[in-house]
Amino acid sequence: MMLTLLVLPALLMFIVSFFKYEKAKYFLPISSFAILLPIIKLFMLTKPYALLGSFLVADKLDTYILLVSSLVGIGVTLALLTLDKHVKVSAKAYRRFYRFFAIFWVGLTLSILANHMGIYWIGLELATLSTVYMIKTNHTRAAHKEAWNYMIAGAIAISLVLFGIILMYASAKPILGEDAMQFDLLLLHAKEIPSPFLFEMGFAIATVGMFVKMGFFPMNLWLANIERASFYPVAALFSGILESAVVIGFFRFSQIAKEVNYAHLFGFVFVYTLLTIFIVSFLIFRAKDFMRLFSLSGVEHMALIVLFWVSGGTFAALLHFGAHAFLKPALFLSTGVLESRGKYRIAGALRGYKGKKGQLFWVLVSLFLLAIISLPPSPMFFSELYGFGAMIKTAKQSDYMLEMIGAILFLLILLSVIFYRFVAIYQSMKYEGKEEEKKVYASELFALIIFALCLAALLLPVSFVYLRSIT
Amino acid sequence: MGVDFFIGLFLATLIVSLFTSRLYRLILWYSMNSLVLGILALLTGKALDDKAMLITGIATLLIKAVGIPYLLKNFSEKFHFVRQIQPEIKVHYAIILIPAILVFTFYLSEPITHMINGNANYVAVSISSLFLSLLLMMEHRYVAPKIIGFLSMENALFLLGITATGGMPMLVELGIFFDLLMAIVVMNLLFHKEEEHS
Repeated sequence: MMLTLLVLPALLMFIVSFFKYEKAKYFLPISSFAILLPIIKLFMLTKPYALLGSFLVADKLDTYILLVSSLVGIGVTLALLTLDKHVKVSAKAYRRFYRFFAIFWVGLTLSILANHMGIYWIGLELATLSTVYMIKTNHTRAAHKEAWNYMIAGAIAISLVLFGIILMYASAKPILGEDAMQFDLLLLHAKEIPSPFLFEMGFAIATVGMFVKMGFFPMNLWLANIERASFYPVAALFSGILESAVVIGFFRFSQIAKEVNYAHLFGFVFVYTLLTIFIVSFLIFRAKDFMRLFSLSGVEHMALIVLFWVSGGTFAALLHFGAHAFLKPALFLSTGVLESRGKYRIAGALRGYKGKKGQLFWVLVSLFLLAIISLPPSPMFFSELYGFGAMIKTAKQSDYMLEMIGAILFLLILLSVIFYRFVAIYQSMKYEGKEEEKKVYASELFALIIFALCLAALLLPVSFVYLRSIT
Repeated sequence: MGVDFFIGLFLATLIVSLFTSRLYRLILWYSMNSLVLGILALLTGKALDDKAMLITGIATLLIKAVGIPYLLKNFSEKFHFVRQIQPEIKVHYAIILIPAILVFTFYLSEPITHMINGNANYVAVSISSLFLSLLLMMEHRYVAPKIIGFLSMENALFLLGITATGGMPMLVELGIFFDLLMAIVVMNLLFHKEEEHS
């Protein structure tokens, strides 16, 4: 019953997408709001709660991630109402976009709630394939090329994940049989896995696949190029929802890998994320448009989330995850308005907003921009404090304390490069360039208000208590 | 013995497809590759008395060996694909590169093969097939052979699933088939749009 309620809004969206009646599009955000009811109910139930035998199980972690992703989904559907006001999109392409969005949502629900490696992969593949068409909704040659690029590079990444899953499954099958696919049982019996090397190899390959999907080294630019070529709501979906589904997989796999050999897990992830942030910080420094800037910043934040998680800063990682999931789609959705006078016009992008709606828009965007670089009281400020604290604690317990502290300092220098660039961009947006009038629509402003409220809710003591209770 | 023969044939069909310069011939080799994979699943399923694997084997034969090649040929005619698909890597380099990949993957998978019961070398063949499929994707400029490379990669993973684990759970196998069909639907849409552009 609960599973039906969770999937029902997406099914309704799928059906409504076939209606040619123009007013039908107003039903779509309403159907996305409907998903909140089962999720609230899910929060009240005792965890873990079996939704479909041992295949789909709701625990505290996935309920949180599902809530965050659904709120992002609601924001995106609201902003989609005025998509045609900012970009050229036919009614047919718009309806088809929603059809694939519904499939995407089903895939993500499966991935997030999966307690089974195979179902996790199937959901992720479904979500990946459905986004291909969403990229293509923009009828340009660049979007067409990037849709194919996404199809092929995404297929390679997802195949690596499956490859890793097969090896992990093979490593635990002698003791667990077909149940070796289940995350909870694997975690429980992690120390008894007869071939830890095989498991670690599988984990490393699956992790590389997931990291490639999130735009980590060596594929730092592929996501940015795709997001640049597609319509801005696609980028919001990528950063706020698809990456959530990828990262929950990493959380699950790494929990088991931590039990198998923590030193190997930490070393591998630490070096990988450091390398990613090193490259991304320079790419951000050279970014000349909002989409690439936000996309690369997304890669940086995902790397930080992963790093905090493996350092034992579960609370910091989840807080950072929530903050990023709300901030980045908010910024991506704002680009529809910010770029209304041209793609590469950063100077003066925050000027020319008249009336109450305009004023509120630029204030919100300013706050989001400053929050993404972790200025207090952004939730990211607190998550980075706790996250770096956890890293230093891990360094102190390690045999390589000095090297690790050095690496953390290097990481802070890289983050300060990004900080500097964002501040410079903000100043250029606000104080440079010509003042040209830009129009803000109520639905997209409503979406931004929802994201702002969600960010504020993350700072509530009750949210902190909930996040701390997730282990 | 039979499994050894077919696993060799699986690798051989993939290697031949790397040298193919005609699209229909490439589709044919993909079909042969899938046919051999289906037979392998049936043979392994019979040896292990695993009904789920037998069903998967039949599904492989129907969907991958017949259905997908038919659809690809249909797309090719409908959307006027370029059929002369000369690989970017020249034949004399490919002759050196392919054995190098095979030797490398056998060396790479050596520590794993000690940990897997049964047909350890088959795992090495699966991993090398994965690398060769990647090579197939890389060596072509056009989209259609890249798609076949992606489908061959799925076959290599499927083979790994059969050989390394003695078969994945039925639910996962069916899910993978479903995703593959979804991929075909998306590709069809992308080609439609390509036609609208030109």
